[in-house]
Amino acid sequence: MSYIISLKELINTLNWSKDLLVQMFEKRKSFAYKYDHALEIVSEDKIESLVSKHILNQNGPYLELDEQFQQFFEQILEVNEEINTSFIHENIQQVKQQINFYLQENNEHRKHSYLKQIKAALRKTGRITLRNVIDLNRNIENAFKTEPNYTIKIAKLEAFDEKRRAIYTLIEQTDHLVTEEELTFFTSALDEELKQVVIVLRAQLTESRHNLIETQKQIIEYLNQVKYQSSIQEKIKQIKYLKDQFELKAKTNIVSILQSSNDVVYENRPAYSLKLSLDFLQGDEGRKHIEKVYNRMKKGPKKIVHLAENISSEELLPQIEEEIFIDLEELKRGFMASGRHLYSFIMEYNYPREVSYEEKITFFCQMVSIYEQELRIQENYQQDGIVEYAMVQSN
Amino acid sequence: MQKTTNYTAEIFDALTKGNFICSNSTDPLQSLLYTVIDEDFDQLFTYFSSINFILERGDEYFYFSRTESKASIESKIEHAFAWIDLVDFFITYDNGFAPGFRFTPSDIQQQVKVDVSLKDKLEIMKRLTGDGSYAERINNLIKNHLVKNGYAELENELTNQYKVLASFNYIKQLIISIQIQEETANEIPE
Repeated sequence: MSYIISLKELINTLNWSKDLLVQMFEKRKSFAYKYDHALEIVSEDKIESLVSKHILNQNGPYLELDEQFQQFFEQILEVNEEINTSFIHENIQQVKQQINFYLQENNEHRKHSYLKQIKAALRKTGRITLRNVIDLNRNIENAFKTEPNYTIKIAKLEAFDEKRRAIYTLIEQTDHLVTEEELTFFTSALDEELKQVVIVLRAQLTESRHNLIETQKQIIEYLNQVKYQSSIQEKIKQIKYLKDQFELKAKTNIVSILQSSNDVVYENRPAYSLKLSLDFLQGDEGRKHIEKVYNRMKKGPKKIVHLAENISSEELLPQIEEEIFIDLEELKRGFMASGRHLYSFIMEYNYPREVSYEEKITFFCQMVSIYEQELRIQENYQQDGIVEYAMVQSN
Repeated sequence: MQKTTNYTAEIFDALTKGNFICSNSTDPLQSLLYTVIDEDFDQLFTYFSSINFILERGDEYFYFSRTESKASIESKIEHAFAWIDLVDFFITYDNGFAPGFRFTPSDIQQQVKVDVSLKDKLEIMKRLTGDGSYAERINNLIKNHLVKNGYAELENELTNQYKVLASFNYIKQLIISIQIQEETANEIPE
C-alpha cells in the first residue's frame, strides 16, 4: 500500500523536503540522524508529514530514510554498495517471459508494448551488470585495504570472489539469451531500436567480462598477499615459541642459516685506529694539535680528594661510660680513724673495685705526697718481700 | 662514475657499521645514497668487492656482507634471538608492522596497557629494554634496537612519530627463512 496518492504529490513532497533528504542521504552511513537535527532544517509538522507518508521512519529520538527511498536514491545515483545479483537474474527471467508473450501475442499494439518492456529490461540489465562490476572492484579494494583482521579479510575476499563468479554466470546467461536462446525472437522482431539495444548490451557485457577477468586477477593477488602475510605471522609466532622453549637451536636450521650468513650486521661496530701522519705533525697545523694534547696532559688527572665518611647520628648521641674512681680523701679519713700504719691499711682496705698491687703502691705514694702535713712519717722501714716501705702513722 | 665516487665514502661509512641504506628513508642523504647505489649497483659492487665487502641488494635496501665471517656464531645467535623478540613484539602490537608503518611510543604504551600478552612480552624482554617504567622500556626498545640499528627512524620530532624502514624486512626475512622440523611444527600450539 502506498501512502502517496499520485506521482505529482511524490515529486512535490520530495521537492519541498529536498534539503533534509539530501542531508540525511549524505549522512546515511556516518551516524544516526537525530530528530533535533532535522528540526533545524524543516519545521516539525513537515517532518510529521514526511513520516506519515513513510518517506522517513521515526525510531525513538532518531530519524531515518525509509529503506525503499534510500535504495531508490542509491540506484538512481548509482552509489549502492550492495552487489545484488538476484536483480539481474530476475530481469533475465522477466525478459524470457516477455519474449514468450511477444511471440504468442497476435495483437500488434500489445506486441509493441511487450517489445518496449523487453528493451527496457535489456537496457537495465546491461547498466546494472556494469555497475555491479564497478562496485565489486571498489568493495574488494576496500576490504583489502581497510579490514584489519586477517581471517575476516580472507573470508570477505572469498565472498567477493563468489559474487564475481555469480556475476560472470549472469553475463554468460544474458549473452546466451540474446545470441542463441531466443534467436527466433531477435530475428523475427525486426526493430531497429531493439538491435541497437542488443548491440549496446553486448558491448556492455563484453566490457564487464573483461573487467571481471581483471577483478579475478586482483582477488587472487590480494588473497595470496593476505595469506602470505598471515603465514608470516604464523611463522614468527612459531619461531618465538620455540625460542622461548629453548628449542630453537635444536629443532630448526637457525645455526646453519647464521653460519652461512656473513653479513656485516652481526659484527661489532668497527673502530679504525689509524696512525698519525708524521708530515702532518711536523707542520704548523700539527703543532697546534700537539699543544692542545700537551695542555690536556699537563693538567693531569684530577686529584682525588678523599672525603671523610658522614658522622652517623648514633655517634652524636650522649653516651655514658662508668668508671669507679677511688677517692683519696675518703681513704685518708678511713686511715685516720683506723689507727693502723698506712701500708697495711692500704693493702687491706675494702676498695669499691678490684685494685692491683701496683695501684695500691701508687695510692701509698700519692697519700704520702698529698697529705704529708697530716701524716707522721717514721724513720724505720719494713719490707713485704717486694718493696721496702716507711712506716707512716696518722698524726 | 664521477657521481659514484662522490658518495663512495658515505656509502662505505654507513654500510660498514652494519647499517642499511633504505629507499623509504626520510633522511635526504640516505635516499640519495639509495638512488646512487641503485643506479650504479654493478660498479659499486665491483668497487667494494675489491676490499672484501659484498654489496647486497635486499627488498628496497642495501647492506654489506663479507666473503668470510668475522662474527662468532654465538654473537650471531644472540643477534638473531634479540630480533625474534623484537619482531614478535611489534607484530603482536600491530599485524601491519612492516616497512612504511608509522607509530609513536605512546601508541605502543596504550596498547601495552590494554593487551596482556603484549605486556607479558615486554616484561620478559628486560634484557633488551632494561628496567624502568613501561614508557622508558618502550622508548629504549625503539631507540636502541630499532632506530640505532636502522630499522626505523624518527620521522616527526614534534609528534614523536617513527617510521619503519625497508630494512625491517631483513630481520623479518631472516626469521621466515628459518625452517622448523616438520614434526615439530605440528606440536606448536596455535
